[in-house]
Amino acid sequence: MRSWLGPLALGLIVAVATAYAAIWAIPYGLMNVAIDRLGQGGVNTMSYGNLATPERQPVVRPSPDLAYSSCPYDLSGGPIAIDVAPVPGRYTSLSIFDAATDVIFVRNDVEAGGKPFRIIVARAGQAVPKGTEVVRTNHDHGIALIRLLLKEPAEIGGLDAIRRQSSCGTVTKLK
Amino acid sequence: MKGWHRYTITLVGGLAVGLGAAWAITGGGLRDGGIENGPWSTSLGYGTKATDPITRAAVARAGLLALPAKETVYWSAKTDAAGAPLDGNCRYSLSGTPLDARWWSVTIYDEAGYLVANPANIWSVNGANVALDAKGEWRVTIAPTKPAEGAWLPGTKGQPFHLTLRMYNPGKAFRADPAKAVLPQIVKEGC
Repeated sequence: MRSWLGPLALGLIVAVATAYAAIWAIPYGLMNVAIDRLGQGGVNTMSYGNLATPERQPVVRPSPDLAYSSCPYDLSGGPIAIDVAPVPGRYTSLSIFDAATDVIFVRNDVEAGGKPFRIIVARAGQAVPKGTEVVRTNHDHGIALIRLLLKEPAEIGGLDAIRRQSSCGTVTKLK
Repeated sequence: MKGWHRYTITLVGGLAVGLGAAWAITGGGLRDGGIENGPWSTSLGYGTKATDPITRAAVARAGLLALPAKETVYWSAKTDAAGAPLDGNCRYSLSGTPLDARWWSVTIYDEAGYLVANPANIWSVNGANVALDAKGEWRVTIAPTKPAEGAWLPGTKGQPFHLTLRMYNPGKAFRADPAKAVLPQIVKEGC
């Protein structure tokens, strides 16, 4: 039996270390999957997703009441700018998630006074245009998500043009 | 058995146990880590940087891209008011008064958190499309077949289901004590 003491101690240490590492890695892995699934329209560009249905569920627990527009981003080539055009009187929000799935920024239409706004997402040290509102992050990758609430799915026809005024793209001019 | 055989066995076993434990620990979904209110449960720590690695992983698995509590509170129910698991074969009354939030909705999912096809293409009810009765209450029937009257949220025969209640921009009174807030009732009426 004594000959198992060393191996069992090793097994225990490996089990604990593996559990820690896996728990730490799960959000990054799932975020990568989400970026892949939502990023089919391209990275650093806004995709105006169709409403969630059983056939179209890019992420778990999608809300069928929401029109989601998403911009999977990559800051390795420089900061990105996100322009949000709220739909008057409707809950609209921009939320920005980093590679660890943490929320690094949220603003809704009421907080924005119902007006359009622009957010620059940049890594620490990256040059950004003067006078802009900047969100700094420690990760290159993540997702910016715009939610627009609908009273019923049919409303999307009338509201789609407004939501397409929101956009996302690499910052090219610093002035 | 040689020494290195024993080490190999426990090394592989340790890896398997570690991975299994990580998956099990983070599989509690939106139920763990928090506040209970009847069959509903939530945590106000979602979507913030302060959450611990276990909560973060659990949320990533159960509700990736979830908003923080000031923006949206996500309640999850897996049982009815009596504590029995929600069953797609049964008929339930889901009822309540308008919730203390700018907007709210209740969505039906399968156990894994996905929408299931139904002939009516209805997966949720919300504060804008439920009708209030004379007492100021709304009522929805969850059942596999359409009820004779009233609003319907289709269940799927032979499948358990979960409900997610979303409260967008919840009120201050609600946020002060979510455990005591008045939430929708889920009462089984028959199977």
